[in-house]
Amino acid sequence: MQQNKGLWQQIYQTFASLKLSIFIFLTLAVASVIGTLLPQGLMEQDLEQHFSPTATWWIATFGLHDLYRTGWFRFLLLLLCLNLIVCTIQRLPKAIKLLRYRDDHVDPEKLTKFAHHKHFSTKLGWEQTKDVLARVIAKEFGTTTELQNEGLYSAIAEKGRWSTLIVYVVHFSVLIVLLGALIGSLFGFKGFMNISEGEATAGVVLSSADRILNLPFQVRCDAFEASFYETGAPKDFRSDLTIIEDGREVLQRTIRVNDPLTYKGITFYQSSYGSSVRNAEVEFQDVDSGKTYKLVLPYRQAIPIPGTTDRVQAMQYQQDMAQFGPALALVLFREGQEPSGSWILVDMPKFHGNRIQNYQVKVDHVEQSRYTGLQVKRDPGVWIVWFGFVAMLAGIGLTFYTSHRKLWIWAEPAGEEREWGKVVIAGRTNKNPLAFEQDFNHLCERLQEELKQKDQRE
Amino acid sequence: MESSLLLSITTFAYLLCMAFYLVGVVFRTDRMLLAGSITAFGTLVIQAIGILLRWWESYRIGYGHAPLSNLYESLVFAAWSIMLLYVILEFRSKQRVLGVFPSLFAFLAMAYASFSDQIDSKIQPLVPALKSNWLIAHVVTCFLGYAAFAVSCGISILYLLKKNQMSDSNEKGILIYLPSSRQLDEFNYQMIFFGFLWLSLGIITGSVWANSAWGTYWSWDPKETWSLITWLIYAALLHARTMKGWRGTRVAWLSLLGFVCVLFTYFGVNFLLSGLHSYAVK
Repeated sequence: MQQNKGLWQQIYQTFASLKLSIFIFLTLAVASVIGTLLPQGLMEQDLEQHFSPTATWWIATFGLHDLYRTGWFRFLLLLLCLNLIVCTIQRLPKAIKLLRYRDDHVDPEKLTKFAHHKHFSTKLGWEQTKDVLARVIAKEFGTTTELQNEGLYSAIAEKGRWSTLIVYVVHFSVLIVLLGALIGSLFGFKGFMNISEGEATAGVVLSSADRILNLPFQVRCDAFEASFYETGAPKDFRSDLTIIEDGREVLQRTIRVNDPLTYKGITFYQSSYGSSVRNAEVEFQDVDSGKTYKLVLPYRQAIPIPGTTDRVQAMQYQQDMAQFGPALALVLFREGQEPSGSWILVDMPKFHGNRIQNYQVKVDHVEQSRYTGLQVKRDPGVWIVWFGFVAMLAGIGLTFYTSHRKLWIWAEPAGEEREWGKVVIAGRTNKNPLAFEQDFNHLCERLQEELKQKDQRE
Repeated sequence: MESSLLLSITTFAYLLCMAFYLVGVVFRTDRMLLAGSITAFGTLVIQAIGILLRWWESYRIGYGHAPLSNLYESLVFAAWSIMLLYVILEFRSKQRVLGVFPSLFAFLAMAYASFSDQIDSKIQPLVPALKSNWLIAHVVTCFLGYAAFAVSCGISILYLLKKNQMSDSNEKGILIYLPSSRQLDEFNYQMIFFGFLWLSLGIITGSVWANSAWGTYWSWDPKETWSLITWLIYAALLHARTMKGWRGTRVAWLSLLGFVCVLFTYFGVNFLLSGLHSYAVK
């Protein structure tokens, strides 16, 4: 039992140690370096094409091709959280105790052991000495709290007492940000949807799993427009969207890059665009009978050729096939035979290859429609992350601009055997010692001057 | 008057400024150091006018955006922020001898921006991804952070040179003119903390912006990741200094390591790794 307790104590101490913090910082840094040097998001089966078998084994074993989502990387983040929590549990109560602690006396012997301390002697009267001390220190440093006023004088002056707690705000903010990220990944989703102009859809293809999520409303793309500068660089991408809920149009808005639309907690971002074939007008001439059939083929849907048992389907479309211009891939389904097909060159109707079985084929027109590519996201954790960011910035900023500075003052009136009164002053800071040294020296000079001036006036 | 002329003047003026500081330190001439300070301040003003003029010119040709949109403009702004922070440090610390490295870095940034074939100094239109008010906030905060780390790197180099020379017990060394090791260490710490604050702001503004442009505040893009790596290195440094009492040499070496990360985040990621920040390449 005793040994057990020792072990737990040891583990606890490890989690509270600075060594672990620095180890986690550096390990996270090194892991992140690997993650940026190796291409991320490759499929496991594609790894062998890029790397030697040994390298592939290492990458696959440690998941280096998808490093930021691996268990061990998340374990490091968890370790960081535990480290922060244990450090806080261990140190915060002490810090609060120290904050609550008030000195009840000042020991002049101890003051002389401070790095910053100074002795003065004064011929001023006792009341005047006390007056000068309180006044000059209040002006240069801050108000003093007197501990003892009869016979001897001792006082404390303090600034930025609360600054010792700010570091916990920074540490806590890291936990808040990670909590927000966790909530986002548990209760949110990320995906995309491609919507052709004029069409509406509710399906979102999720990026984490090959699954389609159906939204409780539909999004219609009324129009998509891409504009370009004279240089050819893209200028603007915009989609006019309409939200349709229960068959009613409830919201109409234009989105752009950097200007998304949020509806019921789900945000739609302009992310990509493209074009797809809607239908093709095609002429089939039966070379045996000389008969010509004019058909409108909806994209990827088989249509019968009237008066025959044949069916045809437009399968693929290419804007420019091998520099011969646009081409449409058609497939012919004939009963009792394997399907047969060919690429039909749109701009070259006389090309001898524009033929499937006994049909000479001519494409009269291909109607295309543009689609807009939307990134779709729901993230209930994002506000927690924002809150964490604000806390972090406030914390780091305050840590930079505040410090805990403390002065101890002790004075003794002239006694019967001595004609001079004695003053000892000491100071301490937890940050920026150089600036404090300057301020402390300046304060001491002022005190010395004041004590002398009064002296001369008397 | 065109912005390009002012920025060319700036390039050479920083070289002159560096020369003044160097001569001042090596030959312990206060006048030369003063000339360095005056040149530094004057150039800072000229460059500021140049940057503002470029901003105005971009409106005149119809593009209308802050001059912070590509590698050329960011280098110019980097040089300016390094010198701005240095001049403030010089004014506050009353030390003129730390100017050699900041003015060298500023000159190198300007020279690289002006003379490299890969960098296009023409004013270009903004691509849709950059059309946001976050552009100014993100770039300015990041570069103030980078600039503070650059100044800290300069101080660290001086610190290490001084330490090295003192161990040779060469009392007549040229670096005698430098402030005490303790002062250098304190300046270094303040610059690092200042940089850390602004780097945090830079990462956070970038993150908020990414959330409104791409729908995710963190996507492990190489640039994001490298800025996090830099942040982690400096966080480790600050912890080691505050909690373990690391001072001087070790802090200086860590600061150099941190600055190498800054340089990689700035240049390495652009040229060696591909990612979402691709518009920063040219």
